[in-house]
Parts: sequence; structure tokens; C-alpha cells
Amino acid sequence: MKNSESKFKRVLRKLNIHKFNWFDYINYTFLILFAFIALYPFIYVFAGAFNEGMDYMRGGVYFWPRVFSLDNFKMIFNDSRLLIGFRNTIARTVIGVMTGTLFTSMVAYAMSRKDLPFRKTINRFNIFTLFFNGGLIPYFMVLKYLNLLNNFWVYVIPYLYSVFNMIILQNYFREVPEEIHESAIVDGAGEFKIFWQLYLPISKPIIATIALWIGVFHWNSFFDSMVFTTDANLQTLQFFLVKLIKEASFAQGEAAARVPAQVVRSTSITTIRYAAIVVSTIPILAVYPFMQRYLIKGIMVGSVKG
Amino acid sequence: MSVKRKQFNTSIFIMALCGVIFLIVFNYLPMIGIVVAFKDMDRVLNITKALVDKPFIGLDNFKAFLQDKEFINIMLNTLGMNLLQLIIGFPAPIIFALLLNEVIHTRIKKTVQTITYLPYFISWVVFGGIVIGMLSSDGGLINNILIKLNIIDKPIPFISKPEYFWGIVIASGMIKGIGWGTVIYLAAINSVDQSQYESAVIDGANRFQKMWHITLPSISGTIIIFLLLNISNLLVSNFDQIYVLQNSLNYARSEVIDTYVYKIGIAQMRYSFTTAVGLFKSVIAIILLTFSNTISKKYLGRGLY
Repeated sequence: MKNSESKFKRVLRKLNIHKFNWFDYINYTFLILFAFIALYPFIYVFAGAFNEGMDYMRGGVYFWPRVFSLDNFKMIFNDSRLLIGFRNTIARTVIGVMTGTLFTSMVAYAMSRKDLPFRKTINRFNIFTLFFNGGLIPYFMVLKYLNLLNNFWVYVIPYLYSVFNMIILQNYFREVPEEIHESAIVDGAGEFKIFWQLYLPISKPIIATIALWIGVFHWNSFFDSMVFTTDANLQTLQFFLVKLIKEASFAQGEAAARVPAQVVRSTSITTIRYAAIVVSTIPILAVYPFMQRYLIKGIMVGSVKG
Repeated sequence: MSVKRKQFNTSIFIMALCGVIFLIVFNYLPMIGIVVAFKDMDRVLNITKALVDKPFIGLDNFKAFLQDKEFINIMLNTLGMNLLQLIIGFPAPIIFALLLNEVIHTRIKKTVQTITYLPYFISWVVFGGIVIGMLSSDGGLINNILIKLNIIDKPIPFISKPEYFWGIVIASGMIKGIGWGTVIYLAAINSVDQSQYESAVIDGANRFQKMWHITLPSISGTIIIFLLLNISNLLVSNFDQIYVLQNSLNYARSEVIDTYVYKIGIAQMRYSFTTAVGLFKSVIAIILLTFSNTISKKYLGRGLY
């Protein structure tokens, strides 16, 4: 579908039916300008993070550092709270992606089978949760009963399953030809083995998509850390960032004792914040070009039915 | 085959049951927990015991919320920002998708897409942190530009002034979300039957006529679905965004239901009161969804369900 569209346009261009007119000039200018606006915040924050702190406060650092300095990063990497945050965030992202993807796709496989007993009831049971929930406090209480408050697994277990992701995976599994399943049954394979050895490998693109979405979610979430943990050793990178951004007193204190005085003096709260932002964003920026294709694919598959 | 279908497929059932058990624990148990809203359990320490022992007090918690001195302000902020979002933020990706669709140079189109999708994957903590920095009154980009252009003579601390808060939320939300918002519409546009455009060209239709008479009608189904979802979420805010941008000086225009529930419920342990507030929000959402869905079905012939 996508190819036929661009092919049609290519033909138009070759035939010169499509002349570049005033609308195109305005449209291209607008789109490129908007792309610049969407990209610029990252340039701005990178320039600030690599600039000497006191100099930065004079203003005017827009595209690249005026007085280059790595002191902001020295401060940040000497802050034990950032390192704890990094450790927890990496751990929850890795464990969360593996467990969440496998659990959700296993359920999705079962839900995609027409011979699932009570299929309609189970399906309604799933869909209902998309429209109604108990709210924050009852959820908090359930986590308390389960002893998940102040527990690392509060970052993993509640995200094992997502109905939304299940629907996307289920739609994909339904497209797998029924003959594959039948011949596996004839060969004597059990359902779990069929899921594990046939459906998972066949569905690699969509599994990658779901894994990436779950990964981005884990990397970016701070609410659970803020609400469900009080132990400083359990707090995540993004929650550390929230405090760094919202509380001025939080920014300088901790690392200052461990860093030479001239380093501390050549930083500022703003540039330390920017350095922390850069450090925590680089992992996403680094994988984004490779994952973009997969991220889009998921929403396409999901929209086929919707 | 028909014989096999009638058999009870145990292993498949167990796999689906794993999902059901998960939902019972993390979704349905909290729904039962809603009874908290009808008891007085504010600031109790032993929740389990209080859940059994405390008597029902009817709708007192809901009345308390309606009479709360913050009620009008919180509702105004929640509805105000979400209505602005609905009027400005909702159509923006549709227009953006239509404009992107007019780009003939595939490479330019791809580049614009790649760049504008990016902010969606960055956390609100990071994006909000940058927004706060750019708006800051000491050395922030926006103030520097405005001063250079002689629009203002003194820096304005935008983020600390309540009157700018809604604007900051809408604008930053659009920069972060418009690009990714186009994906679903572009997918719908791509599945439009191309022969319609070809015959329109032969009939001498210009690009605006094609956009208006072919592209828009063919993605109207997608637009309606998202519109209905948006309307039903009128009381739901983007917690991450508002929490990061919020500070003690802009509360007057930044406090919304979701941030209030967090602050009062978790920090002040007013469990019953905030559960009632949350339930109030959910009930309104269901009413809005049912109502808008009925209207949409009647007048547009399409609905969510």
C-alpha cells in the first residue's frame, strides 16, 4: 500500500504534472521549521551541559558551548544518587522488558486461538479494564497487601501484562496461517511449545516493537518510584531527575564533598541539571534511529483492527 | 477438526488464565477497593482492619469534595487545559499528517517524520526540565530572545506565573506529541484506495479538493475514534507533564485532579477522600464516553462500540 502511493507520486513527478507551487514552498518551510523546533530542545540542553557553569548564566549559549567544560559531568558522575538511579533503571528495564514481553505474548497467543474455552468471556474481562479502574489509592492498597511497597519488584510485576499490548500481539498472531498450527499439532507439539518455538520466532518484528515500547516505558517512568518507594536505594533515574529539576537544594549538595573545589565552582545548578538530562537521555537517543521502524510498525498492526 | 474444537483445550486455557489472574489482582481488586470511597478511612494506619471495621458513611466523601475550597479551581484547571488540548492539540496532528502527505520528496518526508517522532520517546521529566530551562528568567532562551527583539525589557519568570501555565502545557505538549500523533493518521491515509486520486486528477481536481473530498473523508473513522477517546478523558490529565512543570508559585493554575489526588491521597494519607475523587473522575469519564458515543452513532453513523 505504502509503495503504491509513493510510486504514484513518483510517476506524477516524472510526468511533471506536479509543479512546485506556492503551497509547496509554504508547506516545506513549515514542516522543516517544526522539525527544527522539535529537535532544538536537545541541541539547547547539550550545549548547556558541556558549557562552563558560571559562564552559562550570562546567557547566549544556544547551539554549542561557549566555554567548553566537562565539570558538570564530573559532578553528576560523582553523585551516588544518580548511579543508584542508573542501576535501578537499567535493572528494571532489562528485567521488565524480558518478563513483560514474554508474559504478555504468551497470553496474547492463547487469546488469539479460536479454540480457547470461554473466549468471549475472557475477552470481555480483558477489555473492561481498559475503560474502568479503581484509581490510585485502592491500587496503592493492593500493592501494600502484596508487600510490593518499597520492593524492587514493584517495578516489574505490575507491568508483566498489558491488555493494550496483548490486543496488538493477538491481532498479529491471528494472521499466522492456521496450517502452521495444525501441522505442529499433528507432529505432537504442545500449545506452549508451539507458542515458544513457532509463534515467537515468526512474530519477531512485532515482538521487537512491543519490547521497545515496554523498554521506553520502563526507562521513562518515575511515578511508581515516587509513590511506591521511599527507600533511597530503590529510586530510579527519572525520579532522581524529577527531584533534581524541581528542588534547587537537591542539585548541588551531594557530590560537592567528593569533587575538587574548582570543579564545583565552575558548575551551576542549571548546567548540572542539563548534564544529568543529557546522561539519562543518551541511551534513548542512541537506540532511537534503529528502533524507529519497529516503533511505528506496532501502531500500524494495532490499527488494522481499530 | 470440528471434533477437536469441542474438546476443552486445557493448556491454552491456562495460558489465558495467567492474564486473567493478573487482571484480578492488579485491576479488579482495586475496583473492589473502591468501597474505601464510601467509608471514613482517612489517615488510618492499618488499612486492612479499617476496611472491615469502619462503617459505611454513604456519599459524605463525595460531598466533601464538592464542597472542598479547592474544588472549583481544580475542576477549572483540569477542564480548561483539557478543552484547550481538545480544540488545539487534537486537530494539530491531523493537519500535520495532511501536510506531510503533500510532501513529494520521500527523503524530506522521512527526515521530518524521524525528527518530530523523537520527543515522544523522551520522558516528560527530561522534556519538562528543558522547557523549564528555556523559560527561565536567568539566561533562559525565550527571555533572551524576547529582550533582544525589544518585546520585553525585563525577563519574565514564565514558569512561576500562573497565567502562563496553561499555555506552556499546551505548547510543550504539542511540540512533544504532534509528530507521533500523525502516525495513526498517516497509516489511515496510506490505506486510501489510490485509484480515487487518479480519477480525481483526471477530473481536474486540485490538491485541496483531493484533500477535502478524498483524504479527509477516508480517515474520518480514525478521527472519530480518537475524538471520542479524547472527550471521555476530559478529566484525565497528563500527570507526568503537569507534575514536572508545577511549582509552588503556579499552583493556582496548575493543580488538576490527578496531581491533587496524589498530593492529598498519598502525602496526606486521605485515602477515602481521594478514592472518592478518583471514582468521581471515572464515573464522569464513562458518562462522557457513553454520551458522546451515542451522539456520534446517531449523527455520524460511527462509534467506538
